[in-house]
Amino acid sequence: MGGEAMFEVIKAGLETAVQDYPGRIGYWNQGFPPSGPMDSWSFRLANVLVGNEPGEAALECQFVGPELRFHRDTVVAVTGGDMQPRLDGEPIELWTSVAVKKGQTLTLSYARTGARGYIAIAGGIRTEPWLGSRSTFHKAGVGGFEGGALKEGQQVPLGDAQGTPGLRVKDAARPTIVTDKRWLVEVTAGPNDDWLDEAGRKLFLETDWKLSPKSDRTGYRLDGPGDRITFADKAINKRPEHGSIPSNIIDQGYPNGAVNLAGETPIILVKDGPSMGGFINPYTVPTVGFWKLGQARPGEVLRLTEISVDEAQKQAVEMTRICSGESLESA
Amino acid sequence: MIYDQPRFLPGGDRYMLIEFGDEMNLELNFRGQDLAGVIAEEKTKGVLETAPCFASTLIHYDPEQISFADLKKEMGRLIESLPPTDDIEMPSRLFSFPTVYLDPWTKECVDDYIAKIAKKTPDPEYIAELNGLEDVNQLVRVHSGTEYWVASLGFWPGLPFTMPLDPRCRLVAPKYNPPRTWTPKGTVGMGGMSTAIYPEHLPGGYQVFGRTPVPIWDTERRFPVFEDSICMFRPGDRIRFVPCSVEEFEYIEAKVADGTYQYNLVEYQKFSVAQYKDWVAGIDETQRF
Repeated sequence: MGGEAMFEVIKAGLETAVQDYPGRIGYWNQGFPPSGPMDSWSFRLANVLVGNEPGEAALECQFVGPELRFHRDTVVAVTGGDMQPRLDGEPIELWTSVAVKKGQTLTLSYARTGARGYIAIAGGIRTEPWLGSRSTFHKAGVGGFEGGALKEGQQVPLGDAQGTPGLRVKDAARPTIVTDKRWLVEVTAGPNDDWLDEAGRKLFLETDWKLSPKSDRTGYRLDGPGDRITFADKAINKRPEHGSIPSNIIDQGYPNGAVNLAGETPIILVKDGPSMGGFINPYTVPTVGFWKLGQARPGEVLRLTEISVDEAQKQAVEMTRICSGESLESA
Repeated sequence: MIYDQPRFLPGGDRYMLIEFGDEMNLELNFRGQDLAGVIAEEKTKGVLETAPCFASTLIHYDPEQISFADLKKEMGRLIESLPPTDDIEMPSRLFSFPTVYLDPWTKECVDDYIAKIAKKTPDPEYIAELNGLEDVNQLVRVHSGTEYWVASLGFWPGLPFTMPLDPRCRLVAPKYNPPRTWTPKGTVGMGGMSTAIYPEHLPGGYQVFGRTPVPIWDTERRFPVFEDSICMFRPGDRIRFVPCSVEEFEYIEAKVADGTYQYNLVEYQKFSVAQYKDWVAGIDETQRF
């Protein structure tokens, strides 16, 4: 690898990290989470814009983006929440591929909309994969670049590829990042929805849950009337090995995206979340709703809306179709 | 109970939870592990990974390769083909883990939770009371009086979910409400009827009452036990917690730090389900240690 095929971190931003999609798959039975981008819609389109495979390693930036100096000519694209990207101080368009000259500096600021911005670079990021993926698993200090978020002064290796500048994502193919602080997040019922009674399920779906500031890439805590959720008989009259609190169940595998009821606190298990545990998961956020979690900010409202598994699968296929070259046009 | 027919429960667009029953016993754990094993062997189309646990197996699948309905049929077929558990005889490693029970570190962690998050009876006293034990000393005797069966790994890389093999040592406890924000690395705790070791400084939901200095996962693989995987345990391993003092803990901790610690495990034994069941049948479960 040539010494110049890299970018240098001038400012790291709040939490900027290498991710790939779908992440670290195949180790759920040892407890390794997938990691990967929280908003896979914006992430995949960033890659597609610069001519990469949709899942290629790229950067996820949280709340405040980084400043990067490129040591080679390349093509970049910035998508997701609006972090007001500039190239050598000049504003550049989001959702558009842009030529970068050797020595130029890309600067992202705070997120004016959404919570996460994505930066893809033609040829992708070429850090060493760990257990088959370049995704960063922050809390374990593995994957990504040196096991964590980028730090000032680091030189991050890049792949070699030509991108095409001047492409943009059609308006209709972009995710809608809300500006009224209210998100409608799709969920499917199960696996443990039958542990709630009808009133409990109704409360789950008819509450304006507030995303807690005590949320991170392992879990999104939901503030609200968790203590008023009511249960079916099977949650109350059960064998002692479940644990005596209604939401306690014999430890079981957790779907990534599960809405976990930890005691009386709903926690959505996200990309670096646990693979198993002893609380029920009445609902699960499917792919089509999950990207919204990546753009929701603490304090914003999450309203859960139930769709069928069939519908969730159809919409995931549609999302994959959208995250491809057919969503691009000339700028 | 063990269900006549397993339950196939959806989790979003990419997961299926297969429940074999709603109790903790070896038979259900073998069902879960054996199903995961046969899926890996047959490379079932569309299945990306599995997570077997005490009484269930979670399947992560790609719905563009296999539909929920077809996966359910395929899983039903594989479950039918699983061998009867009574015939199982398998190699099983036995690990001894020096453990400080009623240790100062988990006490500090519980005190911090009580001060900042929610009032509760300290964990050891709570478990003792809930299970009708004389005092926390009996908790130590009972908890350390059995081998634990590693049913699965999960929650965090390498964390073992285990169940006591000796019915006289079965204890139960609810999980924290709300969960803790931190737990010391090496903490031993329990929730439901399961005992676990926390591989790292982590949030958690189990009641905690002990701590071991011996690492159970290591991304740098500094010890031979990590040769095959950075996670030390495998399902089918057994663990015995050996009570030790704070001084011994610190001695071992230093040995771990300088790389001279010798893991205490034996590999010459086989676990026979039939013999185990025979033995359990003759045990008076009401007798505590």
